Amino acid sequence: MSDDSADRGPTRSVQPPRLVSAASHLAGSATRVGRIARWELTKSAGTIDRKTILLVLAVVAVAGVVGLSVADEGLGLEDEIYVVGVDEDDPYHDVASESEQFRPIALSMVDDDGGDVNADVILTRDGEIYVAGEHGEAAYDAFRDAIDDYNEQRMADEADEAAAYPVLVTVNYQERTLADVADGAATPDGGAADASSDDGAGAETPGQDADSDDGIDTGGDGVTGEQDAVASDGDSSEPLQVPDVGDGAVTEQTTPTSPGALEPPFPFEALVLAFLFIVPMNFVIQAYGSTIMDERIKRRGELLLVSPASSPEIVAGKTLPYLLGLAAVTVVIARAIGGGGQSIAAAVPIALAFLAATFVGAMFARSFKELTFVTVTISVVLTTYTFVPAIFTDVTPIALISPLTLIVMDLQNESAQIGEFLFSTGPFYLGAAVCFLVGIGVYREEDMFSQKPIPAKIVDAITSQIDTISSRVHAYASPFVLSMLAIPFVFAAQLLAVALLFVVPEAIALPVMFVLAAAIEEFAKSVHVYAGYARSRFDASLRVAAVLGVFSGAGFFLAEKFTHAVQLVGLPDLTVGAAAFGPALSSEPLVFLAIFFAPLVLHVVTAVVGSLGASRGRHAYAVAFVIATLVHALYNLGVIALVA
Amino acid sequence: MPIVDVTDLRKEYGEFAAVEGSTFSIERGEVFGVVGPNGAGKTTTLKMIAGLIEPTDGTAVVAGHEPGERAMQRRLGFLPEASPLYEEMTARSYLAFFADLYGVPSDVASDRIERTLDRLDLEHRDRRLGNVSKGMKRKVAIARALVNDPDVLIFDEPASGLDPLTTNYILEFTRELSDEGKTIVFSAHNLFHVESICDRLVIMNEGQIVARGTLEAIRETHGTTEYRVDATADASGALDSDAVEVVRENGTVTHVVESMDDVEAVRERVDAAGGQITDIRTTTPTLEEIFLEIATGSEAEAATP
Repeated sequence: MSDDSADRGPTRSVQPPRLVSAASHLAGSATRVGRIARWELTKSAGTIDRKTILLVLAVVAVAGVVGLSVADEGLGLEDEIYVVGVDEDDPYHDVASESEQFRPIALSMVDDDGGDVNADVILTRDGEIYVAGEHGEAAYDAFRDAIDDYNEQRMADEADEAAAYPVLVTVNYQERTLADVADGAATPDGGAADASSDDGAGAETPGQDADSDDGIDTGGDGVTGEQDAVASDGDSSEPLQVPDVGDGAVTEQTTPTSPGALEPPFPFEALVLAFLFIVPMNFVIQAYGSTIMDERIKRRGELLLVSPASSPEIVAGKTLPYLLGLAAVTVVIARAIGGGGQSIAAAVPIALAFLAATFVGAMFARSFKELTFVTVTISVVLTTYTFVPAIFTDVTPIALISPLTLIVMDLQNESAQIGEFLFSTGPFYLGAAVCFLVGIGVYREEDMFSQKPIPAKIVDAITSQIDTISSRVHAYASPFVLSMLAIPFVFAAQLLAVALLFVVPEAIALPVMFVLAAAIEEFAKSVHVYAGYARSRFDASLRVAAVLGVFSGAGFFLAEKFTHAVQLVGLPDLTVGAAAFGPALSSEPLVFLAIFFAPLVLHVVTAVVGSLGASRGRHAYAVAFVIATLVHALYNLGVIALVA
Repeated sequence: MPIVDVTDLRKEYGEFAAVEGSTFSIERGEVFGVVGPNGAGKTTTLKMIAGLIEPTDGTAVVAGHEPGERAMQRRLGFLPEASPLYEEMTARSYLAFFADLYGVPSDVASDRIERTLDRLDLEHRDRRLGNVSKGMKRKVAIARALVNDPDVLIFDEPASGLDPLTTNYILEFTRELSDEGKTIVFSAHNLFHVESICDRLVIMNEGQIVARGTLEAIRETHGTTEYRVDATADASGALDSDAVEVVRENGTVTHVVESMDDVEAVRERVDAAGGQITDIRTTTPTLEEIFLEIATGSEAEAATP
């Protein structure tokens, strides 16, 4: 029987078992999603003519060939641009011949024709160096650099390290801890402050010289101090320690080098390769945003809405080809650059976040012009959010806020622990889910074809969720649920704030972080209550406003407990991390209970303040929001001061 | 049992009520008109029936199903006023996609699509829809509404902006569909179209139904039948001056009155004056005249089931 006739007739004499019915419903839903996905694919393919396909293929081929050529050999633009007059038995001859920039000629070949010399640099037999011609000065500078490189290379090739490097420098990178801020003492539970010093020892591997106090190492054991570069030991038995992020890459480096060549432990090569995963996402969201916008412009999507396919099925069907396409590209890139399953598993939530943000942006944009602004914003924000933290893969746990860090780790042959993986990808999955949920809420005739201002559309989108929850549960359940759903964004926003303020001096970063973290949370708790009042979904009485506030605060508190996942990676050890997420959990029962449950009181009180303001209109809401934020910030400050 | 049953349907946007308590029912095989000026609430009513817009209150049941139910959507064909197509697709691929979406088996769909396109006399079936005429696009849109062989069709301005030939074609096709047993809810600004094909209708104004029933019934309720009495002498003095309109032309005096009593009075006066009655005719108001009368200020009829 076709599903065309499956539902005919208003009644059925025999009801199928609930499980069978659910399975049938699911199968029907999957079929419709598949149909729309297939159509989306063929429709999109239909917009590209053969000439465009050939042009794109040609461009890709040329870019590939040129790219590989450049990667392999460089462009060669500076090959032999300078001429050096030097005899073959001169020690400098090797410098000139090994550098691609220089073409050595014998002194006998140097021709000084009345000032018009055919060499830029001339090295005489008595050791004098002359420059000639208009390029002479530049050639001389380049030749000095070539000499330095030549000497570096010779020292690096030296078998006797002590002979090559009479002085070795040991570099220890240490995390700043909560204890540094308080009074330089250890934290009450003794975790964070001691961790660094312990780490130094903990980082030792057999054969290593762990004496980081010396600063000078004779190098007798053949291992340089650079192996101590990351002060972490990865001891997961101590929950508050900075994790073992990127430990492997630096400690595995055993090649000696000169002090001048020491560089911060940024995994440059892996980072560049990891960035390749992000590049196609930025292009795909352009096409994806356009196809969503196409449905809205000129009401093209109205006929899909009146079909048996539901809004979530339509959205899933339209999204699936782009997600699968990105997944396929991810697999190809991973195979090409030597990434494994960890890279692919980390790239997928990034792709999903790109698509989800684009979807909700395309649902709110009123024109293709606005859509362009939306997609560019998404590109910049998400690329920054994923890429910048990954730079610090080998340095700090903040890096794990980006799944790209997992890719960088994978490319450095480091495996992420399950906690690290969940911490890194969880907010992306949850954030994407909420974005899709919000967008689907306004994927209906009344909203998707209207030309309201974007804030009004956001309010409508939230209101549609309130309506859904109210119809299925109760109106009071909506602030509870919506506050919970806001958590991924709160988490991501606070992580981003931590990342941005990480490098700012603490005297500035801490107060900003206290207020910012509070504002983010208060906004998340109150904006949906305001939306409900703005669209007359709630009674404006004091009692109802207070009840809504209580439910919002309680929901937020409950979901916030999930953010204790930060403990998995030791983020509270960082000062700004503690300012955003609160201090690390104490082993003292009373302190533990206080830290665990005091936020319930805080969230309920401030949410009630916000709700009361929202019930009295926009201006009152703004005032209430500021008050709630200040109360929240003072609470954060107080708790941190007390605990620390 | 009516195939479409609308009860106290209401749609509010904030303080504004787009539709205020519409109630009507449609029998199987009827062509049912929904007319009214711009902003009267016609399209909102049709979209609530189609399940596109959620009513603030009231119900619209189609073939026993609530709007939004999948079973209802399978039995409904909707042609919106503006039905932009996916212009990168051909007519065949476009219709095949929707047939697929409605779960029509491919062999059935293929046959149905070809037959419908034949009936609509649609050429260029494999040409991209972006490259065909407006009339052809509208025909494809109608074919799409039929692709799932629905019991109920909602046509919102099906001939809007089309040339007279195509318009006439579509009206005839609509009538054929009705003859085949399809129930059609028909909305148009052109009241001549509504008058020519609708069995019953409702007239809406400012969100309310202000008239309902067959055209004859609406005429009886809202229109005024005029009697034109041609005579060789002026008899207007026999009547209240407001009750008679007198037109003099080529020696004939035409008395336009609104009741048979007035006709009798005119006859007596003409006889008394030594004149002669040469003709008596009745004229019924067009739907347009009734519509204009209602739209320009008659009081709204209280909606009754």
